[in-house]
Amino acid sequence: MDNWVIAMMLGASIFLGAIALTAFLWALKNGQFDDEEKFLNAVKFDSEEDLNDAVNQEVKKEKLKKEYRPE
Amino acid sequence: MSNNIACTHCHLEFNEDVMIKDGEHYFCCNGCQGVYHLLNEEGLDSFYEKAGNTKLTPQTSQYEDSSNFNSPAFYDKFVSVDKDGFSKVSLVIEGIHCSACVWLNEKALHKMDGVIEADINFTNNKATILWADNVVKLSQIIDMIRAIGYNAFPYDASVQESYANKERKDYYLRMSVAIFSTMNIMWIAVAQYAGYFSGITQDMKTILNIAEGILATPVLFYSGWVFFRGAYYGIKTKVVNMDILVSTGALLTYIYSIYITLVESGEAYFDSVSMIITFVLIGKFLEVLSKKNAADALDIMGKHIQSEINIIRDNKLISCKLDDIEVGDIVVVSSGEKVLVDGDVIKGNGTFDESSLTGESEPIFKQEGDSLISGTVSIDADVHFRVVKDFKHSTLSTIVTLLESAINKKPKIQQMANKLSEYFSSTILLLSLFTFIGWWLWPHSFETSFMVAVSVIVIACPCALALATPVATLVGLSLGVKKGILFKEAAQLETMAKIDTLVLDKTGTLTVGKPEVIKEHILEEFDKKLLYSMVKNSKHPIAKGILNYLKNKDDSLENIVLDEFTQIAAQGMKASYNNKSFLGGNLSLMNAQNIDIDFKSENSVFYFSIDDKVVAIYELNDQIKDGAKEFIDFILGKNIEVIMLTGDNENSAKRVAKEVGISNYKYEQTPEDKLNFIAKIHDEKKKVVMVGDGVNDVLALASADIGIVMGSGSDIAVDVSDIVLLNDSLKSLSDAFKISKTTFGLIKQNLWISLIYNSITIPLAMAGYVIPLVAAISMSVSSFLVVGNSMRIKYKWSK
Repeated sequence: MDNWVIAMMLGASIFLGAIALTAFLWALKNGQFDDEEKFLNAVKFDSEEDLNDAVNQEVKKEKLKKEYRPE
Repeated sequence: MSNNIACTHCHLEFNEDVMIKDGEHYFCCNGCQGVYHLLNEEGLDSFYEKAGNTKLTPQTSQYEDSSNFNSPAFYDKFVSVDKDGFSKVSLVIEGIHCSACVWLNEKALHKMDGVIEADINFTNNKATILWADNVVKLSQIIDMIRAIGYNAFPYDASVQESYANKERKDYYLRMSVAIFSTMNIMWIAVAQYAGYFSGITQDMKTILNIAEGILATPVLFYSGWVFFRGAYYGIKTKVVNMDILVSTGALLTYIYSIYITLVESGEAYFDSVSMIITFVLIGKFLEVLSKKNAADALDIMGKHIQSEINIIRDNKLISCKLDDIEVGDIVVVSSGEKVLVDGDVIKGNGTFDESSLTGESEPIFKQEGDSLISGTVSIDADVHFRVVKDFKHSTLSTIVTLLESAINKKPKIQQMANKLSEYFSSTILLLSLFTFIGWWLWPHSFETSFMVAVSVIVIACPCALALATPVATLVGLSLGVKKGILFKEAAQLETMAKIDTLVLDKTGTLTVGKPEVIKEHILEEFDKKLLYSMVKNSKHPIAKGILNYLKNKDDSLENIVLDEFTQIAAQGMKASYNNKSFLGGNLSLMNAQNIDIDFKSENSVFYFSIDDKVVAIYELNDQIKDGAKEFIDFILGKNIEVIMLTGDNENSAKRVAKEVGISNYKYEQTPEDKLNFIAKIHDEKKKVVMVGDGVNDVLALASADIGIVMGSGSDIAVDVSDIVLLNDSLKSLSDAFKISKTTFGLIKQNLWISLIYNSITIPLAMAGYVIPLVAAISMSVSSFLVVGNSMRIKYKWSK
């Protein structure tokens, strides 16, 4: 009985740790830590306006992607 | 009373009187005013809030026409197309001071139609821009960057960095996984060890084993993949390398541990598996961190050569791709431009700087009929010349070709640790095999003999050996950086310590490389402001030398606007102010104006006359750097042979050599001569350091065992060299020698530590006294010893 508790705890904590690790690896692959200065200053440029701008940029990209068909 | 006010845009402070008043704002120039209004209109004025009081570069410079950026040749070279069909370019942005600048550039570009992504790296000011080419052109993007007060120029990102960055990132990923898993395995291992000493049920043990096994699997197969790959290449090339040892050790222990877990008896050693991989991976990563990419070097010359030049065809000025230039074409070169193909001058005259090719410090006057060599730079000449060799056969291209072969021919000195690990690895694998056979025949159970054999591999697993070199070199490298010495690759520290010949360039290395005033003869008092304003207008090195001299002597000198100013090629300059005429230049200028002067000197002489009367004479010379003699003495004391090579003439070579105490020197050397000279030294089986600074040294720098370049040297020379001296001083050159010697001594010590440790523990392991658990612990101890020993170098130097 006790053994199962330990096994479950181990399983759960390794699983949670693995999620954190995956998130970290994703961020690393995505280039979020490539520019340490920008990364540290990011908090200054995180206003509502900046977030809107980021969304607009995405929309613009999708739109252009649909229209833009070069050979 | 001066009343200084800061410009609203750039925040530089000026007197109120000279500022442009615009409402409640003040601007230092029209440029700043323009940018301010532009940002306001675009709704980007919150930039000023973000920038705070950071001082920016005022927007004053004029730029070349940006439509050049739309030429097909330019697109060919710098613009790539991504999978969605969008164009992509890498730019370096000039004038970025703070994170607000990054924000402003990104915002301004994002607002443009057709720009899809603008990502600017604040640390190195490099930007990647993605845009739809049918909506907006690159020239418009660059115009926008210029309009908001910055400048951008493209660079070829494809070869340069991507490879090194990719490899580094790959290691980050592998290391994150390895460290995460190892740390968690450690916690579980604490329970295992506690159970080992105080009793534990077999069920519990199996649970812990399974958990460890799950964590160890990604470490071995994902993080440890580099070792399996290395082992594969090792087997393919029939070299027993450290990777084979690490991967067999880890793999055998892993398989054994799975077996133990399944049969539910004995001890599993998943912790050893992950620890070996993690430790050795860190050692490998440190090596990667300080490694320069060999592919980099080959692309170097190309990026310094513009792809188009102006030629005249059918009486029209057109720009033409370099490769399309034919013999007989007429090329136009204006002042400040580089000559890219060989030819003969047919129109115009002026002075050219040939120092990058010949090392000659004085500019050379060329006129109709003289030949031009590619690679020279026009100082004040606007000439037309007829091409005599096409680009591929011109001097500049020949140098590029020679450079490529020189880089390939560069001798590879195998690092001591690598050589050692080859013998070491095969010895250990054999010993482990013998141990297994010995125990098996003795007779013991398969399990016991297998375990003892594995313990031999695990205990010998060269963590300390793998860390010995990288840790020591990393300490050496960081020490070098503090002293202004950049080693581009860690391995060079070791190579440098084995050097026995030093080859030096003269101009720019032993000497300052610029003429400096050494004597001033004032024949009649005059207003220094006049001379100051006159020499300020010229780009000639002699004029610059006098300018520096005057400025150092009296920095309150102000520039006055001369009424008239003309340069006379190869002679000097002429000016007038308040109805007085001035002449400044060499003897032939004075003679041409019928001014008699009786003055003799072996240095370069500059005469200054007012209304045809000489009032001052300046003697200039290329001065020897501080501490040059001490440096040569230091090197000779180390039993290193010193040779000076220079493209300059015999007299100046002799003078410098004598003054610093070099007995062995060669003069009037072309770049190829220098290259051959290095090759000759190599033939004598000597290891050579080349120190230089200009394009004329590039071939020699690339082919020498170690090329050291002065930080102020030409870009190409900095690129092909192995060590850069940031402060140009000979003191740091001797520091570089000292650091490499100390570091190499340290590497040797570290290797000894790990070998002694192994020679004690391996016999114990073979005798079966060491279980892998103890092996794992002692492995960490030896690694700490090596790391601790390496740190000593810092204390040694701080004294």
